[in-house]
Amino acid sequence: METARQSRMAVAWPWIGTAARVGLAAVWLVAGSLKVGDLAASARAVHAYDLMSYDTAKVVGAVQPFLEIALGLLLLIGLSTRLTAAISAVLMTVFIAGIAQAWARGLRIDCGCFSTGGQLAEGVGTAYGIDILRDLAFLALSGFLVRWPRTRFSVDGVLLGDR
Amino acid sequence: MSKGSKDRAVKARQIVAEQKARERRRTVTLWTSVAVVLVLFVAGLIGYTKLSGQDDTTAAATAPASAVDDGTAFAVGSGPVTVDIYEDFMCPACGSFEETTGPTLKQLATDGKITLRFHPVAILDRFSNGTAYSTRAAAASAAAAEAGKFVEFHDALYANRPAENTDGLTDAAMLELAAGIGLTSETFTDAVNGGTYKAWAAQATEKFAAKGYTGTPTIVVGGEKLTGPNDTVPDTALVTETIGKAAG
Repeated sequence: METARQSRMAVAWPWIGTAARVGLAAVWLVAGSLKVGDLAASARAVHAYDLMSYDTAKVVGAVQPFLEIALGLLLLIGLSTRLTAAISAVLMTVFIAGIAQAWARGLRIDCGCFSTGGQLAEGVGTAYGIDILRDLAFLALSGFLVRWPRTRFSVDGVLLGDR
Repeated sequence: MSKGSKDRAVKARQIVAEQKARERRRTVTLWTSVAVVLVLFVAGLIGYTKLSGQDDTTAAATAPASAVDDGTAFAVGSGPVTVDIYEDFMCPACGSFEETTGPTLKQLATDGKITLRFHPVAILDRFSNGTAYSTRAAAASAAAAEAGKFVEFHDALYANRPAENTDGLTDAAMLELAAGIGLTSETFTDAVNGGTYKAWAAQATEKFAAKGYTGTPTIVVGGEKLTGPNDTVPDTALVTETIGKAAG
């Protein structure tokens, strides 16, 4: 027997998921579209993390914005939400690891999370802690969607014959 | 029909329906996953293709004839110690370096102590409200170099350095500054208005990044990157001292 509280949760849950899905989609769309106009700058931002050769960074820097936009669109329409959320979670984890290593090594860079970052100018503080906290919040959104991928207004819902 | 067999029939139908639903879910999950992977693959491919196209454009760029060091720099003087300065015309730290240390370096070049090589790069395009001032200024400086007036034009640009997050100087404003130093040739004007050396600016910036440099100003004395304490821009004393040591 469902209690009244459980049934209220059952109604609210898919809506929370829907908000998470659309929110995460917006994150990717904004992040990708800010970088897509200047791929050379995106490559320099990746290179600033000092994790790979410049040629590799160029490929990553060029591919990443398009992947981000594609992920954003897929989440927006809600196609295979569990998979797209899982990929989002993996990417967020990679970003957090990248920022953390830059922090630990004392590199002075702009994370490039929502911009084509790169090395910071003189006297501009780094914001690694805030960047990591923000990415952790996005990671939590992704995790929620992996656990509860059924949301309203999604292609998944239509294909599976949900109301 | 007894009540028991009716129940069994209902139950059997339920089981079949559940199985069908499960199957459907599996099929949907499979194909939507395939679709997602395909979409992401295509997106990545678009990025990769764009990169190759961009690489072709920058590779095809013609370096100004007066440029040295693989076509990335404009040299002053011919002293034994080479000093390379990588600068973006919008970068505030470059502006203050030019103000404090620039005159000393130019004097050393004039005295035949150093070869001073200016490397214009464009890494701050995102700070000029979409007008790509860094690229335009670097390209214009190459045009000035072709007219034999690189240093004069370079100094004029830094004397009028626009703040970050402004539109930067318009092409017309740069031409006006050029006119102030007697640079009015048609070739120069056409090169600035036509953006002749923009692809070169992208190429020079790319070579800068490929060397592992990430910020401006980057000062390199005798092939060694020079930084002040805590990764800061070196001051005049440190720069001259290092040049002295390099000269031996």
